[in-house]
Amino acid sequence: MEAAAGASDMFDAIVMAEERFHGEGYRDGYAEGSHVGVIEGRRYGALHGAKIGSEIGYYLGFALTWQCLLHRAAEEKHSKKIKTLESLIGMIQKYPYEDPTYDKLQEDLEKIRGKFKQVCSLLNIQSDFRIDTERSPLTF
Amino acid sequence: MKDALSLLARVPAHPDSHCWFLAWDPAGTLLASCGGDRSVRLWGKEGAGWACKAVLGDGHHRTVRKVAWSPCGTYLASASFDATTCVWKKGPDGFECVTTLEGHENEVKSVSWAPSGSLLATCSRDKSVWVWEVDEEDEYECVSVLNAHTQDVKHVVWHPNQELLASASYDDTVKLYREEEDDWVCCATLEGHESTVWSLAFDKSGERLASCSDDKTVRIWHQYKPDNELGVLCSGTEPSWKCVCTLSGFHTRTIYDVAWCHLTGALATACGDDAIRIFEEEPLSDPQQPTFTLTAHVPRAHSQDVNCVAWHPKEPGLLASCSDDGELAFWQYQRPEVC
Repeated sequence: MEAAAGASDMFDAIVMAEERFHGEGYRDGYAEGSHVGVIEGRRYGALHGAKIGSEIGYYLGFALTWQCLLHRAAEEKHSKKIKTLESLIGMIQKYPYEDPTYDKLQEDLEKIRGKFKQVCSLLNIQSDFRIDTERSPLTF
Repeated sequence: MKDALSLLARVPAHPDSHCWFLAWDPAGTLLASCGGDRSVRLWGKEGAGWACKAVLGDGHHRTVRKVAWSPCGTYLASASFDATTCVWKKGPDGFECVTTLEGHENEVKSVSWAPSGSLLATCSRDKSVWVWEVDEEDEYECVSVLNAHTQDVKHVVWHPNQELLASASYDDTVKLYREEEDDWVCCATLEGHESTVWSLAFDKSGERLASCSDDKTVRIWHQYKPDNELGVLCSGTEPSWKCVCTLSGFHTRTIYDVAWCHLTGALATACGDDAIRIFEEEPLSDPQQPTFTLTAHVPRAHSQDVNCVAWHPKEPGLLASCSDDGELAFWQYQRPEVC
């Protein structure tokens, strides 16, 4: 009886080997994949986060400068422009940079882009000028 | 059924080019057409036929895709693939371009005037919808840039008596916008079409909106106000829009345009299968689940794609259509005795 049980274990070890190695391989691969995935995701997130940050930072600098210039002029006819600039600045200040899981991140970004275009139209400025002469024109 | 729509006249409006769109002026005395030849032409009745009264040729340097009259009939706006929209003013010596609206990044696809005449909407391949405000001195100011669509925006149209704007897009949706605290917001998204939505038309009351699509169907959407008796859910004070009817199986290709006659209630479609079709609501059908019947079908209305259909604003049953073959046609529709 004992001999038979031992033999069955031995055969089990052989028969089940494929399944066992498959399982171990899957586990190791999964761990490795998760690790690489985190690194890749991090790199991707940093890259795109930086892009969004630079885009929005550009809008904010633009808006604050124009706000300053128009305030200095202090003319009645600029009131609409100033109001729109304030609205753009407000939208940027409310934008949650700290929270990448915010579900309206893209939607709010589109609204900021729209507001920036409106500001450019009111100021009669071409919105597609270049930030960096070496790179392609601003795609946003 | 074919006799229900009879041909009155055919005009080579934009020879050797495409004729893209038509718009009747509010009085119904002039019909504006635009085309691939970069011109806008104005047509008026002369005797039994139709004659070209003016050619507005110097405004755009690429295809003119759509034209729209202001509610007062004094201004005509033209949207062009050159990324601009021109506003033409009727003067003693004809039409003159008074403003060129710039801002879109590329092709402007459509333009529409609000019923008050003080707001203008434009849309473009750049995925945005722009709302412009006009003051007494013909100065235009951008009041909003709406980036709600994720693809090319094909058409914009205003509600017949409210400041509610609708847009149709290559992203298969229709979106509605209204003003909220100094800005414009997207207040509804109508989902259901399975491909590009090409055009939109409100009925006379504005309670219904027809949309036509590359998916070969026309959908009728009905507006439900909050606390409606039918129990259709609305979020807060926002009305909701629900598809109450889908006209499928009638068209064999893309439907490029839909026009809802505000005098008779008849619905006309312009289709890529070269045909014009007319539908009418069954008189006794349930308004919440209306049935529309095909009452006229002209299979070879044009020799190529039909791009636009436009009902005359004053004469019931007078319909104009235009096509990729550059022609403009006038039709008389007579509702058949028995549908």
